[in-house]
Amino acid sequence: MSISHTDIGDNLRKIVILGRLDIPGTESVADQLEKLAAAPKKGVVVDLSSLKFLASIGIRALFQSAKAVKERGGRMVLVVGNNSSVVMSLEATGINSLIPMFKSDAEAERAAVA
Amino acid sequence: MHNGIHTDKQVETLAIAASGDEIRRACEWLATALRQRAVPDPQVQRLELALHEALANVLAHGGSAARAEPIRIRIEVREQATTGEAHVDVTDAGIPFDPTGTPEHTPAKTLAEAQPGGLGLPLIRRCSDWMRYRREGGRNHFVFGARWAKL
Repeated sequence: MSISHTDIGDNLRKIVILGRLDIPGTESVADQLEKLAAAPKKGVVVDLSSLKFLASIGIRALFQSAKAVKERGGRMVLVVGNNSSVVMSLEATGINSLIPMFKSDAEAERAAVA
Repeated sequence: MHNGIHTDKQVETLAIAASGDEIRRACEWLATALRQRAVPDPQVQRLELALHEALANVLAHGGSAARAEPIRIRIEVREQATTGEAHVDVTDAGIPFDPTGTPEHTPAKTLAEAQPGGLGLPLIRRCSDWMRYRREGGRNHFVFGARWAKL
C-alpha cells in the first residue's frame, strides 16, 4: 500500500494511491490522504488508475477528502484510467456522480482547476 | 485441510477470524479460487467486492459473538451447457442481521448533503445477481452469487 503526491504549480496537487483500499489498506493511508488533500491548493487529483481494489471503506475516505476540499473552496477529482474494478465500485455506490472521475490525467487536471 | 482451506473440484471453503487482515485474506482466496475454476474476471471482481462488504458488515455489526467464532465461507461453481454460476455462502455467529431486508440506498445528489457510510449494502446488491438470507443453528447464513453466459 502506498500513497504519494506531486504538486503541479501553485494550484494543483496530484495524489497517487497504489495497492488495495480495503480495510487494512484504507486504515494505513486514510490519515495521510486527509492531510495531503488539506493542502491549500485549488485542485486535487487523486489517481486510482493502478489501484487493485476499492471497497466501501476506501470510497468513504475519498468522499471525506472530497468534501473537505470542497468546503475550503477547492475541487477534488479522480483519475481511473481503464481500471474496470475501481470504476465498478464508484459507479455501484453512485459516488462518481459526486466526485467527478476521468480516464486521463489531462482531463482530470483541467477539471480540478476549472 | 490447510490454513483453514478445504478444496474440492468445484467447492472450496475457508474459515477466518473477524479482522481486517483476515477479510483481505478471504477476498484474495476467493479471487484465486474462482479464477482457478475459470470464472470470468468481471464476475470475480464483483464477488470479491461483495464478499469484502459482507465480511466488513459482520466485523462492524456482528458484535462479540461474531468475533468469538470463525466466519465460514464456502464457494461453489456450477457449470451448465450455456451458463455458469458462482455461489458464495458466508456464515457467522454474530447478531442476527438480514442484508436482504434493508431498504434501497438513495444516493445523495450533492457532495454537501452526502453522508459517509451506508455504502456496503448497495455494493453487495450491485455486485450480486442474487442474495438470500436465513438464520439457522444460531448463525447468519448469507448467500449471494453471480452468473454468466458461456461462449
